[in-house]
Amino acid sequence: MSSVKDTIYDIIAKESGIDRAKITPEATLKDLEIQSLDAVQILFEIEDHFKITMPDRDPNFDTESVQGLIDTVEKLAAEQGATPPAAG
Amino acid sequence: MRRVVITGMGAVTPLGLTAQATWAGMREGRSAIGPIASLPREALRFGIAAEVRDFDALKHFDEKKLILLDRVSQLALVAAREAIAQSGIDFARDGIGENTAVIIGTGIGGEQTNDEASRRMYAENNPRLHPLTIVRLMANAPACQVSIENGLHGPSFATVSACASSNHAIAQAFHMVRSGVASAAVAGGTESCITLGAVRAWEAMRVLADDTCRPFSKQRRGLVLGEGAAVFVLEALDDAERRGAAILAELSGAGMSADAGDIVFPSDAGAALAMKRALADAKLDVGDVGYLNAHGTATQVGDVVETDAVKQTFGCHARTLSVSSTKALHGHLLGAAGALEMVVAIMALARNVVPPTAHLDRRDPACDLDYVPNEARDKQLDAVMSNSFGFGGMNSVLVARRY
Repeated sequence: MSSVKDTIYDIIAKESGIDRAKITPEATLKDLEIQSLDAVQILFEIEDHFKITMPDRDPNFDTESVQGLIDTVEKLAAEQGATPPAAG
Repeated sequence: MRRVVITGMGAVTPLGLTAQATWAGMREGRSAIGPIASLPREALRFGIAAEVRDFDALKHFDEKKLILLDRVSQLALVAAREAIAQSGIDFARDGIGENTAVIIGTGIGGEQTNDEASRRMYAENNPRLHPLTIVRLMANAPACQVSIENGLHGPSFATVSACASSNHAIAQAFHMVRSGVASAAVAGGTESCITLGAVRAWEAMRVLADDTCRPFSKQRRGLVLGEGAAVFVLEALDDAERRGAAILAELSGAGMSADAGDIVFPSDAGAALAMKRALADAKLDVGDVGYLNAHGTATQVGDVVETDAVKQTFGCHARTLSVSSTKALHGHLLGAAGALEMVVAIMALARNVVPPTAHLDRRDPACDLDYVPNEARDKQLDAVMSNSFGFGGMNSVLVARRY
């Protein structure tokens, strides 16, 4: 079964076009050289996949680490009652 | 080439239903941003915008005409009526209407009609759409409605360049009147896209502020959508003087450029190029311009890029230039933004008053120009500039001077 982490890695790699092997939990989107529009698309794909609504924050997506995204998704999925679907 | 002057202007905006009322609201520093009244707020993330309030369409149009008009055209027609009335121009006289251009920009067009048609079809499973859906929603509807109402047979079309649409419209009209291709022009912009579909789409980009619009501030959190229209009458100087028209200002230059870069990330070089071209076109030196109405949408990136572009364009004069973004008070009118902000710039020129950038309490070190924080300021002005930069890197800058 695919974990939240695996799914988020897949989404980041697909939307930004970067090598999946470069992604680490500590990396921020800025470290991964992900542009703001790609970051917005990554957030959208995560929301759409997990059927959650991510909180709005100061529009500095690049300071968010990959682990931060994973934690947020796991927390929201628990709160908002959605079961993370297996990656397709 | 002919000199081009502005002899009339009209506006229907979140700050007021006329150009004068809009200016008065701005002088008072009254923010038109508030909870969205026309949509269910529970369906929205933040639910704030700058709506045109208390606009009663039936006061301006009979029901038979109204059925043809999306709100985007209603606002444009009312603004055009005000501009034409102020100019005192008689299109029937000397056959001037035979070759008066009508160029009205809009970023989206008849979005409310489009949203309503989509709702009927997809939400209500009602396949019967209103037969006037197309003529209401087409992006050239505002231009053709102004042309029809006034019997104007010159070149007529819409310009579309997202948030620069109306500056492109005014620039195009300016070129036509200057060259003699058109005798006169009615030009400006209009936008009314505060619909559930459009607001949700803006929310999805994560560029909307949740509190208010704070251009150039450290605390800025994005743009706030607005709606409205503003329209001008442009004439050749000789024609205006011959008929004894009151001249509001000379429209002296227009500069346009494309970033040819990112679809949303703006380029300081592209913006500076348009500003430099506008100054060269107006044959003005940087020191002649006393006020710049900035694009200043209050996004993190855009305000810094525009600040850098102003420095590149104005050099050491960037420090003495008064720069303000009035979007803090009237929101971002998208395809009508440039036209409304040109009304503001002309009023500033006429009254020697620089309107402020509201909600500017904490300075961003990366935004280090004189943004006229929070209070209007008296200042002798000889020439003014207004910037508009659209998604896609489409830049259009206008310059006007005292006549």
